[in-house]
Amino acid sequence: MTPQEIVERCLALVGPDRGTALVERTGVANLRWANSTLTTNGLTSTQQVHVVVHPQVAGGIAAGTASAVVSGPEDLAGLVERARAIAVGSGPATDAAPEVPTRAPSPAWDEPPAQTSPDELAPVSALLGELLPASGVPMFGYAEHSMTTTYLGTTAGLRLRHDQPAARFELSGKSAERTRSAWAGRSGRHFADMDLTSAPDEVHGGLAAQVTRIDVPPGRQRVVLSPSAAADLLIYLLWSAGARDAVEGRSAFSRHGGGTRVGDRLSPLPFRLASDPAAAGLECADHVRSTSSSAMASAFDAGLAVGATDWVADGHLGALVTTRDSATRAGLATTPFVDNLIAGVEGRTGGLDELAQRVGDGLLVTCLWYIREVDAETLLLTGLTRDGVYVVRDGEVVGSAGNFRFNDSPLGMLERISDAGAPVDCLPREWADWFTRSRMAPLVVEDFHLSTPSEAV
Amino acid sequence: MTWALIGDAASSTIEADFRSLPLAAVADAALGTARALGASHADVRVSRQHSRIASVRDAAPLGAQTDSTTGIGVRVLLDGVWGFAAGDRITADAAVDAARAAIAMARMSAPAAVERIELAAEPAHVGRVWASPVGIDPFTVPDPEVLALLRSRSAALLASPEVQHVDAGFHAARDITYYADTGGTDTLQQRTRVAGGLTAFRVGADRFDDMSTCAPPVARGWEYLAGAGGWDWDSELAQLPDWLAEKASAPSIEPGAYDLVIDPTNLWLTIHESVGHATELDRALGYEANYAGTSFATLDRLGSLRYGSDLMDVTGDRTADLGLATVGFDDEGVSAQSWDLVRAGTLVGYQLDRRMAAEHGFGRSNGCAFADSAQHVPVQRMPNVSLQPVPDGPDLAGLIGGVEDGLYIVGDKSWSIDMQRYNFQFTGQRFWRIRSGRIVGQVRDVAYQSSTPRFWGSLRALGGPGTYLLGGALNCGKAQPGQVAPVSHGCPVAVFEGVNVLNTAKEARA
Repeated sequence: MTPQEIVERCLALVGPDRGTALVERTGVANLRWANSTLTTNGLTSTQQVHVVVHPQVAGGIAAGTASAVVSGPEDLAGLVERARAIAVGSGPATDAAPEVPTRAPSPAWDEPPAQTSPDELAPVSALLGELLPASGVPMFGYAEHSMTTTYLGTTAGLRLRHDQPAARFELSGKSAERTRSAWAGRSGRHFADMDLTSAPDEVHGGLAAQVTRIDVPPGRQRVVLSPSAAADLLIYLLWSAGARDAVEGRSAFSRHGGGTRVGDRLSPLPFRLASDPAAAGLECADHVRSTSSSAMASAFDAGLAVGATDWVADGHLGALVTTRDSATRAGLATTPFVDNLIAGVEGRTGGLDELAQRVGDGLLVTCLWYIREVDAETLLLTGLTRDGVYVVRDGEVVGSAGNFRFNDSPLGMLERISDAGAPVDCLPREWADWFTRSRMAPLVVEDFHLSTPSEAV
Repeated sequence: MTWALIGDAASSTIEADFRSLPLAAVADAALGTARALGASHADVRVSRQHSRIASVRDAAPLGAQTDSTTGIGVRVLLDGVWGFAAGDRITADAAVDAARAAIAMARMSAPAAVERIELAAEPAHVGRVWASPVGIDPFTVPDPEVLALLRSRSAALLASPEVQHVDAGFHAARDITYYADTGGTDTLQQRTRVAGGLTAFRVGADRFDDMSTCAPPVARGWEYLAGAGGWDWDSELAQLPDWLAEKASAPSIEPGAYDLVIDPTNLWLTIHESVGHATELDRALGYEANYAGTSFATLDRLGSLRYGSDLMDVTGDRTADLGLATVGFDDEGVSAQSWDLVRAGTLVGYQLDRRMAAEHGFGRSNGCAFADSAQHVPVQRMPNVSLQPVPDGPDLAGLIGGVEDGLYIVGDKSWSIDMQRYNFQFTGQRFWRIRSGRIVGQVRDVAYQSSTPRFWGSLRALGGPGTYLLGGALNCGKAQPGQVAPVSHGCPVAVFEGVNVLNTAKEARA
């Protein structure tokens, strides 16, 4: 069966109820290395079928979801009936919404799914073949190319397809005595279009800059967050910006006494945090593909168009992540989650080096790691600096400090951004397993709370 | 072992639909192809993962779903270089394709592979069948029954004026794996586990607070959620609104050094992060250096590293009753074992797979290879890692009675640890102030922060077997591409002296 046939057969079985069928074909090719030798690799493919059934039940309309790898047409009836049984057993859904109206099918709907192959890794293999035997220091890293094609159909007539290529490359180097460590990350759609060859120089440059060690005590410091570090904090902010939690008084985006903080000034600078499924180089799905409901998504919204959204505009909170249901509850526009993120300050330019020159004195933070929420009320996060905390004096990197545990809030941080560079494409270090498409400005943050020292390298 | 099912008893438990797959034909095709193409070793896994999730928000259904994936993963060793490939068609032809693709990946990787891999020997385990038993199969409980339980417990909490919102959830998971390798081993295994919990929210005029139940995930069936085994849901839920109200008005902790009495519902996670991950040999050797990190417990310090106080005895095992990492055989065909990781405060062992066991002279793997699906290659993953109680140790009251000025910490919440497993910071669900050996009420805004050797060096007392509880997680993350693994950690109540306590409200204030 082709994916399109699976969608049609499932929808025929869903009727006369409302429902959604989504077929997700994923292929992954990867290489991993450590101590300057290949360790593991993989070439994998799988196809998952998700079925959502919305039967009419006493008191409203329900939702049930069943997913499986199917081996043939004979599996589909059981899958649909399982979804229907879950829905009937659940009773009326509180996020029920009208069917998403049909629109023109995706132009490539009838085409077979896109695929990845080992050939996608050829630029990586070539680089590693030269780098690993003669790197001078132990090298570690990971390269992955994935291609996911989704076919989404609804009983209302939607037929939407999305192809999502994603390439990520990470390179770490450590000094022989393991007292210094540096990292470079790249994100894109295909390795052939990405600058991989500069990564080894970036790692070696970082290691060289760490030769001079300068003791810096913990405390509140002016920091320059690299685009990767900024991305990790702001992605978590987006993940926490659900409208339903906010309007119910249980998030950092809640207004005390009721309502949400939409409209509040979060930053004194013209800071912008946005998503756009059409952003060149960061293209992602332009429609909702949720097959289950959660605090941030609704199964009833499958197929809903997703557009460009300014979450923060001119320093003000402009939108929260909504479903159609939560938008109604919160009195906000419907602005579903978008799978990319762009941040910067209007009018600010320059790269990380230029920003370090402008900052005068401070600490340049390369990566953040093991980020976890400590307090939802303030969106206080904790985590570690990693792979280079550079001491900047009079605009020059003069050495490196040790690592720190930070305790700070990305929401509170927005109030303390004092400068920014130009947004650049980057790979988030912490969240790259789940979120790779980010375009971030390096940010200068005053009084960033480096709470305790870490001995780790 | 009395808990696990083996042989015919296990076979009758394992899903019939999975047993009806052409497992032997797939194995023959994959292993035969790999051998013919020159592989010195090959293994094949046919693996199925079932998942069932139900979520309730404010006593109304939010989402319910089931998921099932099945696939074939083939790993080959060609001229000392790994190759791995996987697909989702369970046929002999698909197995041949996967084996060929794995060989091709090994050939492509060879130019950048400096080391040539060898595997530690393992006896052939032929036709072995193993399953974890469950009382009530969590995948056959009717949907209305699952939702009704979550909704009724949520409604009971919402009946309190102290509670404005409640989240409730249920998760069941089952892995079924057929494994065969060119050494002659073939095993068929099934593992089942469940998790569930509720979180109550109190929305005040100027802030909100939440508090969750502390029931750990376990390798049991639906009976665990229903209250018929292992956790006193009724008692905890009955007290939750009052505890939440007390927390909301509790004084904020004054930061400083405190003696901590840590409940197993919290300490399991500290063990997981500061001992479990730190004693993974792949970390110590640098295999995870780009991602999850390394370990301060390096191989050259085996047998000499002072990990903690003399009271500290930590075991690794894949055999504990109800353990989430318990299994008959690992994903390299190694039979389950139990061993010491830390004895009397000294590092004495590691978690191994067959490659590392051979490379570093351990002789035999202790069975810690695991892949979370057929789509992923086996890597060294954590067994059950548990802190042993003192046989004649005191009960909780006895431990608290020995603390002059401290905190009793219950339940896990926030956690984070650095790349070498030194600096960590944990919060919890409930923090009880101890003065002169007595609990005098809750405090709030607590996080404890330390460095692993310093923290375990401050271990001053352990409870007896009566305080022992098996905690754990379903979602331990590691490796690239990322994999999740279930793992349990048992421990008694423990007392630590002079631990740094932070005030999270002050930490947040700019």
